[in-house]
Amino acid sequence: MGFDPNVVLDYWPQFLEGAALTVRIVAVALVGGLILAAIITAASFVRFAPLKALIMVYLAVVRGIPFIIIVFLVHYGMPFAGIRLPALTTGTIALTLFASAYYAEVLRATGLALPQGQWDSARAVGMSPGEAVRHVIVPQILRPSLPPLTNYTMTMTKESSVLSAITVGELTYQGLVVQGNTFAPFEVFFVVAGIYWIIPALIARATLALERKLGMEENAPGTLSPLARRYLVLDRRER
Amino acid sequence: MTQPALAAKDLSLAFGDHWAVDRVSLTIARGEVVALVGPSGCGKSSLLRCLTRLEPPQRGTIAIDGEPFGRVGEGGALQSRRTIDRMRPKIGMVFQDLNLWPHLSAIGNVMRPQRVVLGRTEEEARTRAEALLARLRISELAHKRPAQLSGGQRQRVAIARALAMDPALMLFDEPTSALDAELIGEVLALLKELASTGMTMLVVTHEIGFARHVADRLVFMDGGRIIAAGPPSDIIERENHPRVRAFFNTMLAFRTPD
Repeated sequence: MGFDPNVVLDYWPQFLEGAALTVRIVAVALVGGLILAAIITAASFVRFAPLKALIMVYLAVVRGIPFIIIVFLVHYGMPFAGIRLPALTTGTIALTLFASAYYAEVLRATGLALPQGQWDSARAVGMSPGEAVRHVIVPQILRPSLPPLTNYTMTMTKESSVLSAITVGELTYQGLVVQGNTFAPFEVFFVVAGIYWIIPALIARATLALERKLGMEENAPGTLSPLARRYLVLDRRER
Repeated sequence: MTQPALAAKDLSLAFGDHWAVDRVSLTIARGEVVALVGPSGCGKSSLLRCLTRLEPPQRGTIAIDGEPFGRVGEGGALQSRRTIDRMRPKIGMVFQDLNLWPHLSAIGNVMRPQRVVLGRTEEEARTRAEALLARLRISELAHKRPAQLSGGQRQRVAIARALAMDPALMLFDEPTSALDAELIGEVLALLKELASTGMTMLVVTHEIGFARHVADRLVFMDGGRIIAAGPPSDIIERENHPRVRAFFNTMLAFRTPD
């Protein structure tokens, strides 16, 4: 029994379809997750204990249980509420929730790392809370949170393979189908692995480009400590 | 009769059951320069945070140029956040650690609040900012980031940022505490220059020489209260309150007379 990649090459449209769906799911979860995370982050800074407790519970639960369980809970739980949705939708919702918790932790951490004085000086000069967030806080959070957000997006891309468990036709699922037809599991998953490797690599490249662009606009060293920079910044070259 | 720039009455601020500011009343006339002196932890910084409403006082009233800012009397209605935000530019606050915005250039720091808060156009904000930077002699640094500036230069940017809002009153929280000896003189000279333009100022300071020569009045705080106030030289040399005496004796023990 030899390694025969030709077996899988015949099925390239199916791999392509799977890869395209993976990218689409991740893109939706990325945008949805960021919006949700921004709302969670903003709410977590509101001085209202019950709201804060609710957010902490949400973050702890979503981060504390395995992704596949979140998928099952959303997929099999929604019919209980009388909502019947296709697996693709419930799967994407699950991934969005998953992403939102991790994104929110990044945004919260970078927000908390800003000195209180930044907020004070914005408010003292007469900015409303919204204006202070927009003109002083967000521009300073954006750049340092970009690398960890990218890391989580790459993790999320890989985790999306779990959606095959509820028959979402993404890359892993297509791999399983092709494998069933060809009985060549090694060749199939070798190709699947290759495609999975390419997607996060593209995301990382896109982020680097974005980082450079932001870097040009804001060449201030920012408020990160040198140690934090070493671990949080993707591009290790001296700038 | 013209209204005083600042009239604070019976201000009290508690953290837990500790009164950081305890029934403080302070009136500052237009053009007056007041030095606020006292030992560490006496409530000077808390008083400034009260006056800017960064910490809302539990009791008392504040009026800026005769306009109420803060609680309107005991049990009276709290002002809306909007009213407070609208009045805040009237108080120019220069923080102890300045709190410049690192993502904006020097001129950006001076322009942004004018644009956002006062609704000035890009053009108006730029003209005003350039004039102020020129007056503070840092025109050539307009496009540098705060991180690229020295301590004294940053101080000037922070002052320009506050002045750009056309405040009725400037508050300085220990403006020289973070500076080395050479810069202290430079910043004090700058404050003296600002005072000579008729700007109303409340300066928290440990610089006795500055209090003596620039301030019109010295206010001494201890334990959250004002325990002495009057012409600086009188307080520094003749005030008999034991806490005040002890403070200045220690301060002056190692100094050559100025």
